[in-house]
Amino acid sequence: MPLIVVAATVLAATASGGSHATTSIVFGTEADPALLDPSLVSDGPSLRATDQIFNSLVGFKLGHTSVVPELATKWHPSKSGLAWTFTLRRGVKFSDGTRFNASAVCFNFNRWYNFPGPLQSDALSYYWNTVFGGFAHPAGNNPGPDKALYKGCRTHGKYKVTLLLTRRSSSFLSALGLPNFGIASPTALKRYQADAGSVDATGVFHPTGSFATRNPVGTGPYVLRSWSVGSRLELQANPRYWGRKPRLKRVILQPIGDTAARLQALQTNEIQGFDGVNPADFGTIRGNSRLKLLQRAPFSVGYVGINQSLPPMNNPLVRKAVAYGLDRRTVARAFYAGQGTPANQFLPPALFGAAKKGIPSYPYNPDKAKALLRQAGLSLPVKIDFWYPTNVSRPYMPDPQRNFQAFQASLEKSGFSVTPHSAPWRPDYRAGVQAGRDQLFLFGWIADFADPADFLNVHFGSHTAQFGFTNQALFNLLAKADAEPSYRKRVALYQKASIAVMKYLPVVPYVWASSAVALDRNVKGYVPGPIGPVNEPFSHVYTGS
Amino acid sequence: MSIAELEAADVALEVGGGGGLWSEAWSRLRRNPGALAGFALVGAFAAVAIFAPLIAPHDPRDQNLALVGISCCPGPSAHHLLGVDPLGRDELSRIIFGARFSLLIGVVAVTVGLSFGLLLGAVAGYLGGVVDSLVMRLMDIMLAIPGLLLAIGIVAMLGPGLFQIMVAVGVANVPIFARLLRGSILAQREADYVLAARSVGVKRRVILVSHVLPNSISPVIVQGTLALATAIIDVAGLGFLGLGPQDPATPEWGTMLTDTDRYLQSAPYLAIVPGVAIILSVLGFNLIGDGLREALDPKLRGRA
Amino acid sequence: MLRFVVRRLLLLVPILIGISLLIFGWIRALPGSPAESLLGEHSTPQAVASIRHQYGLDKPIYVQYWDYVQTLAHGNLGTSITTQRTITYEIGHRFPATFELALAAMLFSILVGVPIGFFAAKRYGSAFDHLSLVGSLIGISIPIFFLGLILKWAFAVKLGWLPSIGREDVLAERPHPTNLFILDALLNGDPGALWDAIKHLMLPAIALGSIPLAVVARITRAAVLDVQNEDYVRTARAKGVPPLIVDSRHVLRNALLPVSTVIGLQTGLLLSGAVLTETIFAWPGIGSWLKDAIFNRDYPVLQGGILFVAVVFVLVNLLVDLSYALINPRIRYSR
Repeated sequence: MPLIVVAATVLAATASGGSHATTSIVFGTEADPALLDPSLVSDGPSLRATDQIFNSLVGFKLGHTSVVPELATKWHPSKSGLAWTFTLRRGVKFSDGTRFNASAVCFNFNRWYNFPGPLQSDALSYYWNTVFGGFAHPAGNNPGPDKALYKGCRTHGKYKVTLLLTRRSSSFLSALGLPNFGIASPTALKRYQADAGSVDATGVFHPTGSFATRNPVGTGPYVLRSWSVGSRLELQANPRYWGRKPRLKRVILQPIGDTAARLQALQTNEIQGFDGVNPADFGTIRGNSRLKLLQRAPFSVGYVGINQSLPPMNNPLVRKAVAYGLDRRTVARAFYAGQGTPANQFLPPALFGAAKKGIPSYPYNPDKAKALLRQAGLSLPVKIDFWYPTNVSRPYMPDPQRNFQAFQASLEKSGFSVTPHSAPWRPDYRAGVQAGRDQLFLFGWIADFADPADFLNVHFGSHTAQFGFTNQALFNLLAKADAEPSYRKRVALYQKASIAVMKYLPVVPYVWASSAVALDRNVKGYVPGPIGPVNEPFSHVYTGS
Repeated sequence: MSIAELEAADVALEVGGGGGLWSEAWSRLRRNPGALAGFALVGAFAAVAIFAPLIAPHDPRDQNLALVGISCCPGPSAHHLLGVDPLGRDELSRIIFGARFSLLIGVVAVTVGLSFGLLLGAVAGYLGGVVDSLVMRLMDIMLAIPGLLLAIGIVAMLGPGLFQIMVAVGVANVPIFARLLRGSILAQREADYVLAARSVGVKRRVILVSHVLPNSISPVIVQGTLALATAIIDVAGLGFLGLGPQDPATPEWGTMLTDTDRYLQSAPYLAIVPGVAIILSVLGFNLIGDGLREALDPKLRGRA
Repeated sequence: MLRFVVRRLLLLVPILIGISLLIFGWIRALPGSPAESLLGEHSTPQAVASIRHQYGLDKPIYVQYWDYVQTLAHGNLGTSITTQRTITYEIGHRFPATFELALAAMLFSILVGVPIGFFAAKRYGSAFDHLSLVGSLIGISIPIFFLGLILKWAFAVKLGWLPSIGREDVLAERPHPTNLFILDALLNGDPGALWDAIKHLMLPAIALGSIPLAVVARITRAAVLDVQNEDYVRTARAKGVPPLIVDSRHVLRNALLPVSTVIGLQTGLLLSGAVLTETIFAWPGIGSWLKDAIFNRDYPVLQGGILFVAVVFVLVNLLVDLSYALINPRIRYSR
């Protein structure tokens, strides 16, 4: 009898791949990475992979937005705020065996600043463009040194480095923690020709080097083992990693485009976790004792965008009528599997600068909306064009069509006559919105980094075709808030700006939503990062029952 | 598309001329239980489409968000026999009204394909020579691109929308009809009665319109019926890929299926109901087409 | 025979030119541009202009077409805008996946469809015959994506018998010299890999093969019915040749002729079906790739990929015609 039990136990252990399960994990992603060079990507799947391979100077506390040491152990700004000096971690090696030091840091910053023309497009170096604002040798209309925040990089011995800026910036430090500014091995960048490429007769850029496809070399907990496009990307533990040794020796990222297919693969244990969970499936996952759901803090906002260049949207009364005519509360409550918070302003509450009181509110009120429209001198119903995207699911609009239909119905009760329009999210819908085609449109924003500038300044800091308004008072207020060095004053300025936005109503925010990761119950130690797939290292993850 | 094409091409080779064909075909069709079942299905489908406002228990566009809980959606109940969709609309009423769109889509798509295909096929088949080669090479090119990709491509070009989808599916059907009619005309052109008409000096156009076309049309009718079936499936496929009608409130079956892909796990009946509706309507057209094909097949004449 | 082959191959040239023109014209007629697609979430008008310049989209149309033809003539299909990999590399990886899937679907339809059609004809008018007819009609009436979703739901999620996505166990590390996983497993002499590849193939192949199955069964049935009444079959029977031999030597063999043409005609359908099947089963093939390319306005992929698919389609049909000539000596290509 005991013998049989032992045999059965052994069998069970081999059947479930006992030894296997403790050292490897298959994780479903929405798509293949584009490239494995973090400075040249801005999509989630790429960043999830590069985040495991590279470290930045600073990092974020797991699951939080506060800045913590990573490759730099200490830092301080000069009095003027124009020079930031970083003390580097000692004894760190890149996975190719070369040393990490001050000159490696400057090499990376100078590489980004000196990107050749083809690499300067927003499609590739978006984050450098956004944070550091310019290139040494701008091609075409690209911004040059005159617009750049970056001025230079100086080494002081092997383990001290100073970054020089052209102006004060308060959002600069958190931005440095972005995985996009991961420090790569200068030897590998040169050997595998990270920036090399040619432009052929049709004008297509061909990277000739293999850095971004086969040989990304950083200091992170994992190194690239193999990448077979369309089916798997395998990472293995980096034996030279400076931090605590990862417990998972192999991490396989498998692209599965279809949301339903990802969930099914998790249920069949073909994968042990996936990102981009559809809120409609939250119940299914919670109801399955073999699975678990980890939710991120809400760091995104869903809004109904308004283009003021298309009358009558330039009339504040009409915008107010839109706000009163949208049944925002019901949508936020009903369509996000209980995880949506009705938004009373553009900034999510988890972010500093969100206003606590004094925010004008516009509860759903069809009669008030109609009264406002009449007051604006319009005859009812007022015809409006309202756009929504297809082929997309975002945390702030898991099923855009459903949100659209609910809003369409509530607007039609409020004195509007809605003409529906749709387009596939990429590229038609986004392009149309940005070109200013759409009078009313469903849109949203997910934080790039935890700073109110990334919400308010990006959207309302200057004139855009998308929103079609010029409000100099608001523009000035936001510029002032971004430059303010004192944290306390900055918070106050952003709170003021957030209220100003709700009064002016360039958009009507309706939900703060969170995204979620689904995992097999046996996967432990996974800490959801506040901002999407970024800052979710597998080095802390382990398996066990 | 190619099944229908293939089967109809078979017919094209086999159908001969002759006047007694139609009455005989009709009498054989009436004895074919499959075809009768097809007529019953399509008849029921058409009746539902026509009388939708009378049959449907609710307005298919009426939302009732209060019914939709945190996890979608409440299942069948006495008040909502097939449950409600993620916006709290009555699923049964949406299926009933959806019959209208599916029928409309099928008919318009096939009409588009048929009219352009017939025009090109007739011109090519009757004029022959350079025109024939040019038209047929163009058709070959269109056939070399997988039909669904061609349709997606056309929708991408025209933008999404109910009408655009019908045009896309129709255009993808053009080469099939063109080839079919051309082959049929070529066969008819050398037929004795055409040669006879020509020898007594009847004008070419008159021969084409009053002799060749009517006798070439029976494979086209079979093909048209089968194409109706595939058009419904193709439109559903486009809807599944997110290229459905602009107004999402439109209760189109394919789009209803697409939406529910997201809710497959939480409310599986929302996927099954429109799926079954599509299968039944398509089956109806296929049964009729199949019955017609057999009834019009001279080889099977005399055989029960 | 040789002349026929050469003539058919020469006919390919105008078709290819036509297709390239058609694709080129169509792509230029698409709203939106690859620049916006490429820039994705972060496009600005300046960036769009610079990308358009970078990709030569601001040149006159005929120059763009000439550039395109020139690069094609060099065997260079260009580079994908979305993945930055060459089209030839992508095709090299994705085409074998689609090919394997289509082949499996075709095999499934023939191995199941031919016997069904044969026995239905042998028992003409029986319950089995009627059942097969109705069954095949239902088969062609089910939307392929619906069947795929249901199959996956039943056999992968509920029963857990078969995997739901991909081509092989992702944890396995196996060499893939040909990218045809079944062939690779055989070459490596790895039975585990073979079984793994087959398991992954099953559901998608059944979903994709359902329509060809119905068609093959019907065609076989019709062909057997025809052949059975031919003089030579009657003669053979009259001479007292055993029925089994008559069936295998005369009836089935001649009945297989139309079946072989079906295979050619089904190629286009299989590629259409592959778009949906690959999407549902996360199968890294060419169908879903082209579909995504349309949505992403990935011009180079569309220009190269659709051309490639069209060539495959035309070549398969040529091969079918040739094999038809080989099987059936009555056909001479003298025209």
